[in-house]
Amino acid sequence: MEALSDNSLMIKVRDGDLDKLGLLFERYKKPLYGFFYGLTRERDLSEDLVQNTFMRILRYKHLFRGEGDFRAWMFHIARNVRHDHHRKDKVKLNDDLDNWKDRLGHHDIRSVQMENQEEHEMLLLAMARLSEEKREVLLLSKFEENKYSTIGKILGCTEEAVKVKVFRALQDLKKIYHQLEKTM
Amino acid sequence: MEKQEVKKLIVKYNEGLADASEVAVIEKAIERGEIELNQLNDFNQLINSETPSPSLELSNRFYTMLAEEKKEKRKFSFTLPSLDVLLPRFALMACVLVAGFGLGYLFQKPSQLQSITELNKQVSELKEMMMLSLLEKESPTERLKAVNLTNDMDQASQKVTAALLQTLNMDENVNVRLAALEALKPYVQDSKVREGLIRSIGIQQSPLVQMSLAELMAALHEKKSVNELKKLLKDSNVPKEVKKKINESIDVLI
Repeated sequence: MEALSDNSLMIKVRDGDLDKLGLLFERYKKPLYGFFYGLTRERDLSEDLVQNTFMRILRYKHLFRGEGDFRAWMFHIARNVRHDHHRKDKVKLNDDLDNWKDRLGHHDIRSVQMENQEEHEMLLLAMARLSEEKREVLLLSKFEENKYSTIGKILGCTEEAVKVKVFRALQDLKKIYHQLEKTM
Repeated sequence: MEKQEVKKLIVKYNEGLADASEVAVIEKAIERGEIELNQLNDFNQLINSETPSPSLELSNRFYTMLAEEKKEKRKFSFTLPSLDVLLPRFALMACVLVAGFGLGYLFQKPSQLQSITELNKQVSELKEMMMLSLLEKESPTERLKAVNLTNDMDQASQKVTAALLQTLNMDENVNVRLAALEALKPYVQDSKVREGLIRSIGIQQSPLVQMSLAELMAALHEKKSVNELKKLLKDSNVPKEVKKKINESIDVLI
């Protein structure tokens, strides 16, 4: 039902009612931010990428057919925004642990309020050490709310293949996590 | 794989006791749809881990961008909708246009024709009235005008032809009578006009009109006129030249 209403909102945006994009922004700013933050671990950059995603949605609104799922279309654009940024700035994917620690510490001060903060930080570190592809599939599972058919469309594979990819990424994440536990 | 086995395997996995071979079995089961990812605790922990929130600055920047975009849109109000939107609109416009032309052709054209016919009818009636009133004028010139008015009429009514016959028989001016005879020529196919013309032969006193009528009868091959023409031959008041012409006409008719 929400997907339908997402589509109808986007159709209105496409047809010139730009205010409706505000509603879509309110719905998806957090999932998109989480997706980008999960990939980059940079707050400002993630906000830039969310902004760029919505700018692209506006620029390419005429291409929205209204037939598929808006979320899938939006995440397609989000991935492209991320890839374009990656190409431009050549962001290091495998920063050393100290850099990630710094960033997590910074993030911690600003917003994270958790009981088991250490565990959470460890998880974020482990995520940062995963390959880009595996990190992305895990983040999509999280922010696409387990809609594997939609993720399949985004990644160009079947629903079953997505599930297997998620499971494998999860196993790798656990391995990295346990390794980090031993070292810290 | 049986359901019980699947359950046991999931429990073992969730307790962190599954070995590499068992993990491989679970992966296969996931691929076959026998195990869902949300049955695995570590997956649920990851999915439910806290999501960071963007700052208010993001919203500020977004709404500023949206306002600028709307301003731009107002400057250039033309936006190209997608083909999905354009095609049905064009189709609808084309249908409306075609339907408009069709309806216009069906309804407007006859009504236009009707109004033109109506107008023509009114003009003819006006001319008739004018002609009939002019025929009663004292001036022969006015009466000549009246007779000549019939040349402009596409189809004169019986009232007009009757008035012309009346003029041919009764008008005191020869020129007017000759003009009336000329004006009646287009209506000689009308039997009433023909009969009127034949009757007129005996009434006419003017040699010019008599000769013209005799010529016309010959041209029309109107045999019924022979008796009337023969009466003229017997009339001593008819000049010789006219009788000669009448004889020629009678020769043609007989």
